[in-house]
Amino acid sequence: MTPSILLVDDIPSNLRILYESLNGRDYRLLIANGGAQALEIARRSHPDLMLLDVMMPDLDGFDVCRQLKADPATATIGVIFLSARDAAADKVRGLALGGVDYVTKPFHPEEIAARVAIHCTILRMDRELASRNRQLELVRDRILSSMTEGVVGLDAGGQVEFANPAATALLGAAMLDLPLAAWQPPDLSETVGRVLGGQDQFTVAELDLAATGTAPLPVELRVAAINARPLPAPASPRPPADPAGQPHPGGGDDPADAPGAGGAVLVVRDLRERQRVAAALAETNNALRQSHRELKVAQMQLIQAAKLETVGQLAAGVAHEVKNPLAVIQLGMDFLEQTLTLDQTSATVFADMQQALLRADTVVRGLLDFSRERGLDLTPDSLNRLINVSLQLVRHELVQRNIKVITELASALPEQPFDADKMQQVLLNLFMNAMHAMERDGTLRIATGLHRLRDEELGPQARAAGFLGGDLALRLLIEDSGPGIAADHLDRLFDPYFSTKPMGEGTGLGLSVTRNIVNLHRGSIDIGNRDSGRGARVVLLFHADAAPLPPTRDGATSIAAAVAGEPAPATAQSVSSPPTEVPRGEETHPAGG
Amino acid sequence: MEKKRILLVDDEPALTRMLRLNLEQTGRFEVREENQSTRALATAREFRPDLIFLDVMMPGMDGDEIAEHLEQDPRLCQVKYVFLTAIVTKRETGRGTAEISGQTFLAKPVRREELLQVVDDLLGL
Ligand SMILES: Nc1ncnc2c1ncn2[C@@H]1O[C@H](COP(=O)(O)OP(=O)(O)OP(=O)(O)O)[C@@H](O)[C@H]1O
Ligand SMILES: [Mg+2]
Repeated sequence: MTPSILLVDDIPSNLRILYESLNGRDYRLLIANGGAQALEIARRSHPDLMLLDVMMPDLDGFDVCRQLKADPATATIGVIFLSARDAAADKVRGLALGGVDYVTKPFHPEEIAARVAIHCTILRMDRELASRNRQLELVRDRILSSMTEGVVGLDAGGQVEFANPAATALLGAAMLDLPLAAWQPPDLSETVGRVLGGQDQFTVAELDLAATGTAPLPVELRVAAINARPLPAPASPRPPADPAGQPHPGGGDDPADAPGAGGAVLVVRDLRERQRVAAALAETNNALRQSHRELKVAQMQLIQAAKLETVGQLAAGVAHEVKNPLAVIQLGMDFLEQTLTLDQTSATVFADMQQALLRADTVVRGLLDFSRERGLDLTPDSLNRLINVSLQLVRHELVQRNIKVITELASALPEQPFDADKMQQVLLNLFMNAMHAMERDGTLRIATGLHRLRDEELGPQARAAGFLGGDLALRLLIEDSGPGIAADHLDRLFDPYFSTKPMGEGTGLGLSVTRNIVNLHRGSIDIGNRDSGRGARVVLLFHADAAPLPPTRDGATSIAAAVAGEPAPATAQSVSSPPTEVPRGEETHPAGG
Repeated sequence: MEKKRILLVDDEPALTRMLRLNLEQTGRFEVREENQSTRALATAREFRPDLIFLDVMMPGMDGDEIAEHLEQDPRLCQVKYVFLTAIVTKRETGRGTAEISGQTFLAKPVRREELLQVVDDLLGL
């Protein structure tokens, strides 16, 4: 676009010289012969540049310039003063009024032409810059107003200079009207104030405004840009703090004296979404914890099952290898007893051999029993009843050994799914262990009850079985007054074949079998020493809300599943052990030992 | 009275010998031992026993496989048989024998009286 230049002088000859200096150089030239006319043309035609004579009778050049600059419509016109007055004070005055140049008369036409050319170039560049700035501002405004995060510009004094719509929505217009010092909550203004004041090392403050009256929402507030120049935001609902701020479209101002130097930009984020996500996460986490716990229990059961599998195979092998020779010896002895006439000594030898044979058979049978504790025949039963029945079976031995029994059985315990035979095996094992530990004289204490578990009382076995602090459990305590258990034996008790009993008296399988059975009931058994006094303390836990397990018919009572390695007839699965083996039921043994 | 014929199939010769000695000692039975499970069927066809003792776990052919073949053989399907096993415990067989889906099991180690009792029961003596 051709630059337009207004030439102003009250002396026509001067005007002609100016005109001739610039004519023919691709300018649009306008002419005014006095100050008033200059203003009129300037307002109407918006020239880019004005060559303005200072001394004019109606209105001098300085007054014209002042009026131009006061009117936003003409303020951008570049003014070059022309004057015969060449005092420095005059030049300074002209430039202070907003003139871009000051040329003293008489001037050389070439000089005028050169200066005008330079100022036109500057003007063009200024305009380009301004239009690019406007574009950038538009983009910025679009970004700012489409952001879900609020953006607030503060000046060094803590006044809000601008805020995007999201910030206004989140913090509330009322709060943005207030100076920083009055923001709620107080620690918010304090924190931001400290950062603004450059006193603090940190540059990020996170504050929850949940409790503020002005901000009804929980928000996070971050001081994003310290000491950066806040952006003047034309699209902002907030007017600039200083209305007289220089309206330079070119924005050529020095950051050091910009009004917002030392201020900050705050980023305000709505925390509701994050809280929702956090809540969802917590929920997922809980579900995960739960399934982890179930997994762990399942894993323990798997490990247990795998162990049993191995032991089962081993047991089958050993049983086969041992039982055949036992059978040979047995039948051989039976045959010899029939055919020989034995004297007294030989008869004793035979009886001893028969005893030894029985003992060997018992050991192998124990091993087989051990290997097949892998399924339960569950029926609702009362733990107290099982305890009473089992006690009856050892009553005679307890009396003989002069062992006192104290039972503290909680009344009204709910019935739970138990395999009665297997649980009796468990209880007998534990009672026998206690009796053997005490040998003679002593006290056996048996207590049952529903118990809310505390985390710190959980033993390793209880943890492994998936019990957690806070769980409600059916608890059985068995305490004796024997010597207790040596520290270095504590973690070997459940190992198969671990026994401190003399050869031939203990198989060391009792507690492994016991633990397997208890675990199959989804329970746990921990053994330690009593806190006070001498003796061992056995803690059995069962889930009080134990959902009945699906009854396993293919487990302990089936021959096919009992031992891997020996294929039994395929139809043998429904066979169950004779229920008459172990007396059960209170009728046969009236309670009260 | 004609002696009842009993075939003993077990891979352990000492065991079949002890069984035979105990059975023969009563003077009431004629007994044959077979320690090769794979030859059990041939021996049975030739010996024509009234009763067969079958070890469950044997190399070559298992007791229940032999039993299956016995039942499919028209000349042998009437023959009674008893399983001998090391794996079924006394507890499971009750006293002496167990009936498991129609099959009789005898747990090792077996006593002489149990043995004779089972034989008498099965042969209806
Ligand atoms: N109440 C107890 N007091 C002291 N030590 C115990 C007690 N219960 C068990 N033990 C120790 O744990 C070991 C293992 O017990 P476990 O029941 O597994 O086998 P056992 O009793 O030795 O043999 P079996 O059960 O075949 O008679 C015992 O030998 C004993 O040393
Ligand atoms: Mg024991």
